[in-house]
Amino acid sequence: MAKPKSKYKVPVLDGNISIPKIVPGASSYEHMIEAQKEDMEALGFPVKLQDGWKDKAIGVFKQILDHNKAVRDYMDICVRCGACTDKCQFFLGTSDPNNMPVQRQELMRRVYRYYFTPSGFFKSLSNAQELTEEVLKEWYTYFWQCSECRRCSVFCPYGIDTAEITMAARQIMDSIGLGQKYTTEVIHKVYTTGNNIGINAAALRNTLDDLEEEIEEEGGKGVKIPMDVEGAEVLLVPPSADFFAMPHMESLKGYAKVFHKAGISYTVSSYASEAGNFGKFIGSYQNTKEINKRIWDEARRLKVKRVIIGECGHAWRAAYMYSNTMNGPFDFLDSKYKQPTHICEFTLGLVKDGVIKLDPTANDDKVVTFHDSCNVARGSRIGDVVGGQFTIPRELIKAAANKFVELREGTTKESTFCCGAGGGLLAEEVMNVRLAGSMPRMQTVKEAVDNHGVNFYALICAICKTQFSKVFPLYGLDAEMVGGIHQLVSNAIIM
Amino acid sequence: MEPLNVTTYIYLVFTYSVGLVFAIGVILRIYQYATTPQPIKIMLTPAPLTKSGAFARVLGEVFFFKSLFKSNKPTWVFGYLFHISFFLLIAMHFARHFVYTNPLPSWYNYFVIAGIVCGIIMVLSLFLLLMRRVVVERVKFISLFQDYLILILLMLIGIAGLSLNFVLTPSALTVVDKQLDPYMNGLLTFQFTNIPSNPLFLMHYTLVMLLILYIPFSKVMHFVGIFFSPTRNMADNPIEERYYRPNAKDLSI
Repeated sequence: MAKPKSKYKVPVLDGNISIPKIVPGASSYEHMIEAQKEDMEALGFPVKLQDGWKDKAIGVFKQILDHNKAVRDYMDICVRCGACTDKCQFFLGTSDPNNMPVQRQELMRRVYRYYFTPSGFFKSLSNAQELTEEVLKEWYTYFWQCSECRRCSVFCPYGIDTAEITMAARQIMDSIGLGQKYTTEVIHKVYTTGNNIGINAAALRNTLDDLEEEIEEEGGKGVKIPMDVEGAEVLLVPPSADFFAMPHMESLKGYAKVFHKAGISYTVSSYASEAGNFGKFIGSYQNTKEINKRIWDEARRLKVKRVIIGECGHAWRAAYMYSNTMNGPFDFLDSKYKQPTHICEFTLGLVKDGVIKLDPTANDDKVVTFHDSCNVARGSRIGDVVGGQFTIPRELIKAAANKFVELREGTTKESTFCCGAGGGLLAEEVMNVRLAGSMPRMQTVKEAVDNHGVNFYALICAICKTQFSKVFPLYGLDAEMVGGIHQLVSNAIIM
Repeated sequence: MEPLNVTTYIYLVFTYSVGLVFAIGVILRIYQYATTPQPIKIMLTPAPLTKSGAFARVLGEVFFFKSLFKSNKPTWVFGYLFHISFFLLIAMHFARHFVYTNPLPSWYNYFVIAGIVCGIIMVLSLFLLLMRRVVVERVKFISLFQDYLILILLMLIGIAGLSLNFVLTPSALTVVDKQLDPYMNGLLTFQFTNIPSNPLFLMHYTLVMLLILYIPFSKVMHFVGIFFSPTRNMADNPIEERYYRPNAKDLSI
């Protein structure tokens, strides 16, 4: 539960998102806990810094430059125009200049100049920097204060994507044994149990039984959540938080009701019980591919016709954007459907076709607003048209609820702020960074609450849900406001 | 024909060396950017669904600085003015070869005035961009030596160029003009003639050579890099069309 306010630095909500005066080193003492031995081993990384780590790091850096066009290009072309300097929520929240996207990149560019450009020759003039232990420490601090949300890239004249640079830095650090506990632990759990939370098949079946009972009590007769059923039409892959955490479970109930009413057979899987993909957060192609592969292996084994992904931001990006490259092609699935399909597109399609009916008055006690999750907004698409990732969730909300307001203009759609905990930052030890990162978004939420009486904050991302449930009470807002779009669907669906 | 003087010999060697470094440097960079594989699709969405749409998106950045316009209006105005005037000036320098005929065309004066106006806009916008680096706290913090260097170098080029029009007497300028054309022709045809010896002209010429020499090693390479930026030049069609690069090692995404 929420700890007392005084323990954390909670930003003041006055509705303003102002550009702070820079305070060098302001968040330099916010560190992630380092990875544990068994997790690093499971991911194929050395467990700690060893002799010769510097050469190894530069070797990996070189390999990334040779095999990753984005990093190669972005190391050279930044002109330091400063367009990104006021765009990152972590800078706006912490005032630490190293959280300005260009300065975060500079941490890596300095090392790049030293080892890979002739200007490394004029070291001090050209700001080239040897990779020392001190620099490595700085990397570890600040490349773990980036949520890889790509907001900066929207505003960069060259599209330089700090997320790519952060991922490369994390990859270099992992390869020499400097990992972060939270993400490596989570990935290790996926390899052993199939999901981020670490629930085994029996426990998963148990919780699904409980959920079925709950749905029944709430008037949803005969709604089932099948698991590991061979021959089902659909393999549903939600983020594992949907099985265990609140308010995530409410959305899972929504999915179940939708499948039930539509009469489409489906199954979840205990082997691929996770849509999320933390391999992406640490920039590791190999681990991202392994985690992603579980979904498609399971789709093959269960002989389903299609794969549908639940409400989760980076999970959707990984599934939509990477699957086909990493583990495709999916010619064993039904080519009528997009593989994978987002649950919102699926449900909205059923609503439009009249297969299921929603009664929006069921949510008349709610004034709903919607937060575009960064990985959905800037890293993927839902549906067939450009910008479907914005219109489809909104259409679905409007079908399920009568009162809907937008958050402040300029902070939605592709310009959305991050919740402050994406990209592997959802760790307890950096709560102050998470709070600072959530500040810009919270200002707009507060505004919507004060001016429009918003009392339901609709999300389609498991990390957003967890983060906001955690920080809302710290800001003095009710955590109950936080929920998923399928929670609204769950209320509104006519059974 | 006049024998070549020592200054001309020095400048001929200098000019060809600079040209060689520039050509090789830029070609190597283009080769490097073009051949480095991109492991996965990372276009920033909402993105065009087709390859041609994605290319149009890149052109929107190149010609209109669309993203910068979204992000910072003053920077866009100063930056845009600088780039436009700079490119017009480069174009007019080349065009001069065809315009500077004997007799001069009736509108030659307007041509010169247009050049002067562009030069003034260029120097002014550079000055404003420089002030930005000094005055705006965040931009000052991120500015490096090389950022000031390039601005000052470009300003000096502009000022030296303008001074030819403002400081020299019309007759002195005509002397430069008359010598410049055959010299430039000679660079292409190897029929070398003497370089104009006016010190202001030589200053302008030298600074331009230094700029061209510096380009392959500097952030000016953004003029090439923008075309290879994966967040902008990739089409949003990962499901419709499988994207796979076997030469992208399974390393970092």
